[in-house]
Amino acid sequence: MFTFPGSISTADGSALVKLGNTTVICGIKAEFAAPPLDAPDRGYVVPNVDLPPLCSSRFRTGPPGEEAQVTSQFIADVLENSQIIKKEDLCISPGKLAWVLYCDLICLDYDGNILDACTFALLAALKNVQLPEVTINEETALAEVNSKKKSYLNVRKNPVATSFAVFDDTLLIVDPTGEEEHLSTGTLTIVMDEEGKLCCLHKPGGSGLTGSKLQDCMSRAVSRHKEVNKLLDEVIQSMKHK
Amino acid sequence: MPGDHRRIRGPEESQPPQLYAANEDEPPAARDPTRLRPVYARAGLLSQAKGSAYLEAGGTKVLCAVSGPRQAEGGERGGGPAGAGGEAPAALRGRLLCDFRRAPFSGPRRRAPQGSGEERELGLALQEALEPAVRLGRYPRAQLEVSALLLEDGGSALAAALTAAALALADAGVEMYDLVVGCGLSLAPGPSPTWLLDPTRLEEEHSAAGLTVALMPVLNQVAGLLGSGEGGQTESWTDAVRLGLEGCQRLYPVLQQCLVRAARRRAAVAPS
Repeated sequence: MFTFPGSISTADGSALVKLGNTTVICGIKAEFAAPPLDAPDRGYVVPNVDLPPLCSSRFRTGPPGEEAQVTSQFIADVLENSQIIKKEDLCISPGKLAWVLYCDLICLDYDGNILDACTFALLAALKNVQLPEVTINEETALAEVNSKKKSYLNVRKNPVATSFAVFDDTLLIVDPTGEEEHLSTGTLTIVMDEEGKLCCLHKPGGSGLTGSKLQDCMSRAVSRHKEVNKLLDEVIQSMKHK
Repeated sequence: MPGDHRRIRGPEESQPPQLYAANEDEPPAARDPTRLRPVYARAGLLSQAKGSAYLEAGGTKVLCAVSGPRQAEGGERGGGPAGAGGEAPAALRGRLLCDFRRAPFSGPRRRAPQGSGEERELGLALQEALEPAVRLGRYPRAQLEVSALLLEDGGSALAAALTAAALALADAGVEMYDLVVGCGLSLAPGPSPTWLLDPTRLEEEHSAAGLTVALMPVLNQVAGLLGSGEGGQTESWTDAVRLGLEGCQRLYPVLQQCLVRAARRRAAVAPS
């Protein structure tokens, strides 16, 4: 697995993740918007997963297909349940101005296990985001942006996804490739954060799984979390020293 | 987008923070008008596409993939006299479908993921420039799909996409007469307007006119030309085209090297 944060300079935060052959790039753009009426002290985080025809011949041009929509919804659920960033941190002036983080994930090469790669790319990109300082001018009531002073986002949790392919209720394979996914009878994705808490479990139909097998998966997910977290910390440290 | 139920909904509208930033708009620094930015090109990097290429020139990063040939959609078309060299008659020739898209985070302002008219126009420009180079007569009733994705726009995006698309087609083993090399130009306004080769995004924003030239270097034929703006006299435009063609010729050796390296890599990986 390889990660390259900060590759796109037009984006406020970006990361490229390569998991075997599967490659996903995440770019985050921050804009201003009025906070939602029912939660005036919160900002927005809007994920969008794009599976263009260039990543695999099974996708066509046009509006997002079923797989892209499912993956977008999965990422939105992970953001919501794991509370990676508190939406309250994105608020600049309650009721008037808040940040919107548009997280656009584009798959460049589809070879299975898209959910893991997308979650990891999103996490790496969020850690790379730098937002300029904003102050509200009291006289004109307009925002003043100081692009010279930038600060990193407060990323509170590190959720990591681990996917498994299920074969005939018995055999489980971690991190399936495209061919393995195609032949599998079901898939399972577990998202854990660093305290060993479960954020999200995604099992879209497919063959059943016994309780003990599920427990095995959870323990494997915990150990994978440690490996991935270590890699991400190393990469972020090396970026900061540049 | 309000009506788009296929994507996660965000706020109704949002503004980029640059609107409120203190205006730090500096005009681009003067430079040698014939300088080309160093180019990094690599072919054969995507595992799922038949042919792929990545091109990076300054801040412009573009990735292109080719898939096919596959059965063309659309009904049977009539025959006619066969072309020279065992090619299919004109009505049965293969088709090239080009798709150009920008990533939402590629420019200073976020673009909505759905395509705009500009992307369609650029896709058509790509198709028109690549068609003279590809031997479509050898792929009857088939279509080749070329998709270009602009990851970061640092100036001369269409030129970079053209070059990457040609490299990707070559990497896919599609029969071609020649590679297509693209070069961008822009006219810097002022008391003595000069045409700048390979402009950066800042130079493009401050320009009065822009031009993209596509050349087939060995055959020395122009494959495509797209320009707009207030360029002044016709001589000014001919000078620009000449400058662009020189730039394309200078770029060609780099692309040859890239394809040779990709072929060596593929030979090393393939079981003997």
